[in-house]
Amino acid sequence: MISDKHDDFTPRITSFLCKWCSYTGADLAGTNRLQYPTSIIPIQVMCSSRVDPVFLIKAFLSGSDGVLMGGCHPGDCHYETGNYHTRRRFAILKEIFDSLGLESDRLKLSWISASEGPKFAQVSNEYTEQIRKMGKNPTRKSVFL
Amino acid sequence: MAAVLPVGSDLSGAMNRFLKTILEKDIVDAVLMPMKVPSGDSFAWIIMSDSSIVDDAEAMAPVMPVQGARALRSLTRKGEGSIRVLALMRPCEIRAAIELSKLGQVKTENLILAAYDCPGAVPMDSFVSDPSSGEDLFRKMLAGEDVSAGEVKPSCTSCVEFSMTDADLHFGHFGLGGTEVLLIPGSPKGMEILEALELPADRETSIWDEAVRKRREKQVASRDAAFEETGENIRGVQGMLNVFADCISCRNCRAACPICYCRLCHFESETAKQDPNSRLDSAVTRGGISLPADRMLFHTGRMTHMSLSCVSCGQCSDACPADIPVAQVFSFVADRTQKAFEYSAGRNDGDPLPLRSFMKSELSGIHEMVSDAEPGGHAHE
Repeated sequence: MISDKHDDFTPRITSFLCKWCSYTGADLAGTNRLQYPTSIIPIQVMCSSRVDPVFLIKAFLSGSDGVLMGGCHPGDCHYETGNYHTRRRFAILKEIFDSLGLESDRLKLSWISASEGPKFAQVSNEYTEQIRKMGKNPTRKSVFL
Repeated sequence: MAAVLPVGSDLSGAMNRFLKTILEKDIVDAVLMPMKVPSGDSFAWIIMSDSSIVDDAEAMAPVMPVQGARALRSLTRKGEGSIRVLALMRPCEIRAAIELSKLGQVKTENLILAAYDCPGAVPMDSFVSDPSSGEDLFRKMLAGEDVSAGEVKPSCTSCVEFSMTDADLHFGHFGLGGTEVLLIPGSPKGMEILEALELPADRETSIWDEAVRKRREKQVASRDAAFEETGENIRGVQGMLNVFADCISCRNCRAACPICYCRLCHFESETAKQDPNSRLDSAVTRGGISLPADRMLFHTGRMTHMSLSCVSCGQCSDACPADIPVAQVFSFVADRTQKAFEYSAGRNDGDPLPLRSFMKSELSGIHEMVSDAEPGGHAHE
């Protein structure tokens, strides 16, 4: 939840959500009228493994304050093994961010099933709060990217 | 254990004679090795079936114009070759060939990969501008004399895989004073060649082992220092810009990379092309953007695509017209991503490519658990 006690910074969190689990989870959060912040900008993808790590970097370099990757729980992938690959790619991307001294906490991977509307709301709230504490994405200021 | 190849006056010449012999005896049908170009200022890969051409070739070339694995790929990308080819290349080229074979781009069935103790390479630009000093420098490097680090290709000064890769046959000469070369078989294929030549592999390799070990110690120290420096320079968004803002988007680094084999690179695809109007929007919303855009995206993105197979050959740096230390950065990052998966690029040890495989239970900490306190979330009231 975005409260007023901080400044007026509303983070932008580009969120790649898989159609079968996380996006449906987000839908459920909506139909259950659970509140989650407007910072989440959802992009529906057919599978989390469709998301090339380049997309996440692109979101980061384009000034997203956080990038959320949502997929089915391991073992529950609609395409059986997609999210296992996602997990490896995400680990590599985090390692690259850490090597380059970029803030890897601006990347988040979360497993949210279709029935976990409350979890989606909770992840959204907590991650927004975390990003708010981190402040704006430093790439926002650079013209050389 | 190894077989021994006596050396007369010329190390490279002795290797040439060996290759000539195996061609003449029909042990292989062709040999792939470097040869000096007519203008004398560079070397090219020649695949030769005529043993008389071998006389003009150079077993160990001072420079590395085209990564050998790229040359090899063009021979076998559609399946195993119709003739038996022995490819004599630097260890980093062999390692790239092994990575490409894991990626389905090189078929090793009819290939014999041969490597040698590599003393490093002379940077392409300095060799082209003065070939004779380049050759003198390389002779010194081969003889194990100290040369100043600035004269050698930067990635070679921090190379720790300069000897004994997973090649079928290895020519070991470090620590032997230029009097002989050890022929060390690394596979049944390599063994077969020695058997066909009736060369018994009965020589102890301890002197050579020790020389390689000592050199490796030195190289590890210089690599660690280089990594530390690179890690400092590249740190954060500002560091990235300091290093990569010179980039002119020519993508030579990708073109020279042995691992980047994709016929259509993501960064050339329609997916990667942003709508012009959205670029203009970015210019308005961000205050300003640089063009051509997405230079940082290209470099960091390429790291996610190929760093796990990066063999630190340094061709990307050599190819960069803006003198960006691409190889140093990629090598530094690749070392970390490969370690994260306990993978070492270029080894033929049966380890699958980390991006092509997974284990069901691994990386359990990578997705951060939300706090367990209240699983219900916040209901709207």
